[in-house]
Amino acid sequence: MKSSMKKALVAVGLAAAATLAAPVAQAQSYSVWLVENSRFMNVPYGAFMPDRVFVPGSTSKMNNINTVDLPVNVGVIKGTVNGKAEVILADAGWKQQDYLKMTGSDHYSAVVDQLKLLGISAGQVTKIIVGHGHWDHAGSLSDFPNAVLYIQKKELEGIEWAINYPHPRISATNVSPGGCARTPACGYPPKTLDEIYGKVLAGKAVIVDGEMEVMPGINIHPAHHAHTAGSQLIEVKTGTSVGTLVFGSDVYSSWQGIRDWMMANPQSSADTAQQFLAYEKCYKLTGGYNNCISGHEPTSYTAEYPITKNSWVGANGARLAEITLAPGESSKKK
Amino acid sequence: MLKDVSGPQRTARMATLKGFGLGVLVVGLIGIVAFAVIRENVKPVEPKVEANASFVGGLSQHAHETMALSPEEESYATALWPIHSEVKLAAVRMIFAGLAYKTEDHDAKKLRAKVQPLTKTFEDAGIRVRKIKPPAALQEAHNTYVEAVKLYSSATREMIKVADDGKDEHLILAQQRSEQASLAILKLSDVLWPGEYKPN
Repeated sequence: MKSSMKKALVAVGLAAAATLAAPVAQAQSYSVWLVENSRFMNVPYGAFMPDRVFVPGSTSKMNNINTVDLPVNVGVIKGTVNGKAEVILADAGWKQQDYLKMTGSDHYSAVVDQLKLLGISAGQVTKIIVGHGHWDHAGSLSDFPNAVLYIQKKELEGIEWAINYPHPRISATNVSPGGCARTPACGYPPKTLDEIYGKVLAGKAVIVDGEMEVMPGINIHPAHHAHTAGSQLIEVKTGTSVGTLVFGSDVYSSWQGIRDWMMANPQSSADTAQQFLAYEKCYKLTGGYNNCISGHEPTSYTAEYPITKNSWVGANGARLAEITLAPGESSKKK
Repeated sequence: MLKDVSGPQRTARMATLKGFGLGVLVVGLIGIVAFAVIRENVKPVEPKVEANASFVGGLSQHAHETMALSPEEESYATALWPIHSEVKLAAVRMIFAGLAYKTEDHDAKKLRAKVQPLTKTFEDAGIRVRKIKPPAALQEAHNTYVEAVKLYSSATREMIKVADDGKDEHLILAQQRSEQASLAILKLSDVLWPGEYKPN
């Protein structure tokens, strides 16, 4: 009896010691910023969102705005996972300012320069999850040599399907000078695809097939044909008071569209129903529309888009927003 | 009519004339300097910006700079366009042949079968481009285009070598050449075919 009691006490003692020795489980938390890479100026509102088409003389706030300026937004997610510093970009923006002037862009600031304002160097970026492969979202991959690219298999398959289509009117990357008429391969210049291919050759690409947990609290959700064939959403459980965020790239081209249930940025490779299902996904994951992070929302960095209102202006008028800070992270807002 | 004047008067008059001449010279020089300074400091006229109401592809159609191509330059751009379209498509097909090899089948024979025809596409494109006579102002652009097509062609030949020895270094070298060519043609298309790529 004495011996069995002794054994029991030893077992309890060992269990207690093991519990004390085990690392204290801490909830994973991430700091999140949104940075503006450039701004497409004077976009006719109706071309971006058919429901918001400008009606001359209209007094409705839905139809009395002629043009809007659309930011090119890049998400920056920073945290420490298993003792390792991680910086993840949601989209990579573009760097073609010197030769794609025709886009009517202004306030260009390279993503690498915007990151410097957050105290992050290009070499510190560990992962880039592109919402899709268009040039203004996957156009500066080579600026981040250490980063691993995450892109959907369906995205690559969608482009390959288009360029090998037997009829040249569909396979054409552009059907006439000055326009691509929404052909499916439009939006993927060889330069951008070379950058994606470069990541694959460097062994720094993960071809994602559907859902994926990238790391604790960061998940990829497919949103196929919600903008392009292989669009994807990035769910970030911040572990802070803001809760869960969902970066939607061009599936969430307009945050107002998600709020007001209106389609935005129509593409030949997109299905309106898929876009609305992707909107719904954000409602499901975050409990509403406030935490859906848009790729081109015109009211970004203002109080009209509350999650991005804590903003400031960086180089060349390109803006930044501090969305949330993990414990121990200091504010970078100037 | 000049009057005959005495020695001291002449000296005084000469001094006055010299002073006047010097003054004119100084004023003239100041004028030239002022003109140069003003000219250097006046901002060049910004290219005219006009809104384009049509919407083609991508998310939007909006203001972009008006290009000032001469009729000869326009003709050159028009003649080059169909070749450019084929070159771009072939470039994308080359990239996807490499992607499929690396991410799907790892079949070097398949890679060679996909890439070999592209060598001919680029070579033919090069021949056709060289037949187009560019206007003097676009000679450099023309030469760049010819070189870019050569680079693409060279990239395809490099890629095919994988079928011989299975070494990825051929793919890496080919990708570098391809990216260099892609950058060159993207820069040119901004001049020759404004609006080729829209925001999307």
